[in-house]
Order: sequence, then C-alpha cells, then structure tokens
Amino acid sequence: MKLSNPLRTGNTGRVVALCGLIILLPIGYSAVRALIPQRSEVPQVFLEKPLAAFQDCVEETSYMRVHHMDLLKQLREDVIRDGIRGEVTLEQCARCHTSRERFCDRCHQAANVILDCFGCHYYPEPGSEAQGL
Amino acid sequence: METAEGTVVIEPDLEFIRDLSRQTGESYKQCFQCGTCAATCPISPDVHPFPRKEMAWAAWGMKDRLLRDPDVWLCHHCNDCSVRCPRGARPGDVLAAVRREGVLHYAAPRFLARWVSRPKYIPLLLGIPAVLLGLALLFRDRLEEALGIAVPSGEPIVYAYSSMLPHWLLNSFFGVFGILAFVAAVTGVVRFWRAIKGAESQGMPRPRTKGVGASTLSVIRRVLLHEKFTSCATDNSRLVAHLCVFFGFIALAVVTTWIITNPINPVLRNGFAYPFSFWSPWKLLANLGGLAVFVGCALMIWERLYDSDNAGSSTFFDWALLWTLYAVVATGFVTELLHYLRMVPHRHVAYFIHLVCVFALLIYLPYSKFAHLLYRMTAMVYAEHSGRDDDEASRLASGA
Repeated sequence: MKLSNPLRTGNTGRVVALCGLIILLPIGYSAVRALIPQRSEVPQVFLEKPLAAFQDCVEETSYMRVHHMDLLKQLREDVIRDGIRGEVTLEQCARCHTSRERFCDRCHQAANVILDCFGCHYYPEPGSEAQGL
Repeated sequence: METAEGTVVIEPDLEFIRDLSRQTGESYKQCFQCGTCAATCPISPDVHPFPRKEMAWAAWGMKDRLLRDPDVWLCHHCNDCSVRCPRGARPGDVLAAVRREGVLHYAAPRFLARWVSRPKYIPLLLGIPAVLLGLALLFRDRLEEALGIAVPSGEPIVYAYSSMLPHWLLNSFFGVFGILAFVAAVTGVVRFWRAIKGAESQGMPRPRTKGVGASTLSVIRRVLLHEKFTSCATDNSRLVAHLCVFFGFIALAVVTTWIITNPINPVLRNGFAYPFSFWSPWKLLANLGGLAVFVGCALMIWERLYDSDNAGSSTFFDWALLWTLYAVVATGFVTELLHYLRMVPHRHVAYFIHLVCVFALLIYLPYSKFAHLLYRMTAMVYAEHSGRDDDEASRLASGA
C-alpha cells in the first residue's frame, strides 16, 4: 500500500510542533491547577461521627473502613440463612451510627458505590433510644 | 591488518559473512561497485559517501571496518538505493543487517543480545519477567508486611489495578530492571563511541566542527523534526508511521513519568487523582498516544508484509521489535476495555500480559532493534561533531 504523503511538502515542522503542543497540554493543565489555589472539586465526604458515648466499635476504624461490607454480609448469612442470632446486630450498629443518610449514604454517594441493601431492608434508626443516653 | 610496508592484508571474518548471508539472502554478493547507491542516496555526504564502500567491506567480510563505521547508522533504510541498484544487491537491506551485527556486538552483556536475536529464546525471554512478576504477586502480602507498608484491602470499591499489583511493587520492579537496562544502554553507546574514535586514529583525522554537547542538542532537534526521513523518497510512508510511533511513545512516556513522580512532583498538587477519569487530560493524552503508536505500528507491519520491495526485507530482528510494540499497545487497550467492563479476573490477567510485554519492550531495548535509537543517535552526534555531515560543516565554515 502506497500512501501519498502530505508531510513531504515541508510542513513536518508544523506537525511536530502540534505533537509537542498536544503532549505539553496536560502538563500545562496540571501546572495551572497547581498554581491556582482552589477549593477542591472532590466532594468533601462529611461523615457524621458516631455518638461520643460509644467509642468502641466491633473492630478498629481502619478495618471497618474496608471490611464493613464483609461483616454485614456475614451477619446476613448468620441471621437469615443459618438462623444464628449472635450478640452483634444491625441495631447495635445503629446505636452509634444513628443516621443512615448522614453516615452510610454520604460516603457511598461520593464513591459512587450503589447500596441496594436498604431498598428492601429497614435501617433501625433508634432516635430516642440513642439520644437518650 | 596493516603491515609495516603499508599494504593492507584483508582477513575476512567467515562467521560474519555467513551471518550477513543468512540475514540478506546473499544479495550483497551481487554488488559490482558501480556506485549508483551512493549517488542516489539523499542523505549520504559528498565525501566518502555510503553505501558503496560498505558494500565492498561486506563482500570482503571486513567486520571490524563495518562495525566501527558510523555511516552504517546514518542510513535510515529508505531503500532509494535498493530500488535503483542495477544488480539487485539491495544495499539498504545489507546496511540493516550490519546494524543488527552492531547491536549484537556492542551490547552488554552480549549473550542477552544473542538471545533477543533468536526466535528460540522467546519463551525464555518472556518467561523471565512473567515468573518474576508472578513470584512478586505470590509473595506480595509477605513483602508488604516485611516492609511495613501493608494496607488492609477489602472488597475493592474503586476499581483500580493497584489492588492486585500495587504501585510500590511495579515501581520498584521496573525501577530495578530499568536501571540495569540503562547501564547496559550507556555501556553499549560508550563501546560504540570508542570504536568510532579508534577507527579515526587509524585513518585520516577529521576536522572538529562542533562540540559533543552542541552536536547532541542539534541531533535531538533533527530527530524530533524527522529531518532525514523527510529527504527519503522510496519508502516515504515510513515518515508518517515513524512520526506516529515516535510521538505516541513520547506521550505515553510523559504520562508514565508524571504518574510515577506523582507524590513528589510540585506540578501535580491539585486534581491528580489516580486512577484517572476517562476525560482527565492525562487519560486523554495516554489514549491518544496509545492510538498513535497503534496506528504507526500497524502501518509499519502492513508495509513490511505487503510492500516489502520498498520497505526492505524483514528479518526476525525487525519483526521482534514491531510485534512487541504492537503487543504492548494491543494488550494495553484490551486491559483498559476489560477495566471499563469491570471484568475480574480477566482484566488482571490482561494487565499481567501487558506488563510482561512492556518489560520485553523496554528492558530488552539495548539488545533489540529498539537499540537503533541509541546507536543511530550516537552516529549522528559523531557525524556533526566530526564534520561528517557535509552540509552542516560547509554552513558552519561559511559562517551562515
């Protein structure tokens, strides 16, 4: 296959300059962004802190951050499929994390991970019980 | 060899002749030294032009002369000489075969170049990075604990690749081998430079027209502008293909460098969240660069397959680089696609294959045809430095 070559008329320099410009664009973009102080465009994930009265979760915070879904699934297996009702219940979670909207949903919205648990299930928001303490 | 009386006794290197014959199909033995090639070559200097003299040396098996000759690397294999050769000796292809010998000769260590130049070593050469990366994966957790950088990983929320191959592992893996390859590349260039200088002391001393630093800068400018390519006539579509691959590769290199230097790069304080979103300027540049390499590489392969008269005869040495490059880009895009489709573990497998291909391309650079960037640039720098480039020298002499 023989290609007719538009570059042979002596405008290789312009093509090369264009290539260089395209390659430099993102660097310029990042440089400008670094220079201009700006409010972060990433939505601030404000999580409502659990009630001060309850300091100790079932696990460390760092563990809960990545493994909470595993624990919830385990809880589901135990309760629904095997009929084992242990000491840890969803109600217990809700005692500290009083609001699903202000705790679970905020982070999940920011991370774009769609929660489908509470389409059917009821998140026990204790209200009076927790605030009473 | 030069004797005391000044006569030259030629000692043909039979192994070299055999190797050249295997690579070129003995076409070079047809040469009857008419000089059409040297006259028709658009980039050959007027003084001691190539490739006529190289054709004679090749026929005589003068390996030392050929390997020390920078002119072999000034040739850009456009095949203007090959299509005009009345004897069908294909000087362009002969010089390509000599360049291959040069890569094999100056490589450090040499056995690696020998492996890279032979098809039977492909499984071994690909097996080494595959096994090493596999082992690193297998012992990743233990390594992380030993180094104290263990991060608890649960179900991945953000679909990054780092959940399987974390950045610290990839950076150190490619960093170590990259340094080794860099040392090998520098060693090769130094060996070649010394050989050219050595040849000079035996022959006529050449006038110095430019310092090495100034010559290097000028050569970089000319390489960027593809000056030599633009003067070639026969295989001119190679200009487009090489421009695509060249700038696509630079784009990919820039993005990679920026990602690696992310934690320490002052330019990247805001909004450089990795993995990128699809419309991030960085992601766009990476995709554009990958596409350019893909198109350029496809053009080159197409030409070699269907227009071999103009593109030149293709040996394993040529195909190895082209197909490795093609495999790198193809597996890269497959990985990206599987990532968007969120197919696990397919995307991890594709990524693994991609990394093995990248290793083959970058780490074996000093031993494959990719080394042309090292040796050709060295030869071009020498040509400017010594005043071999006629036009450049006369321009400097006239003060223009």
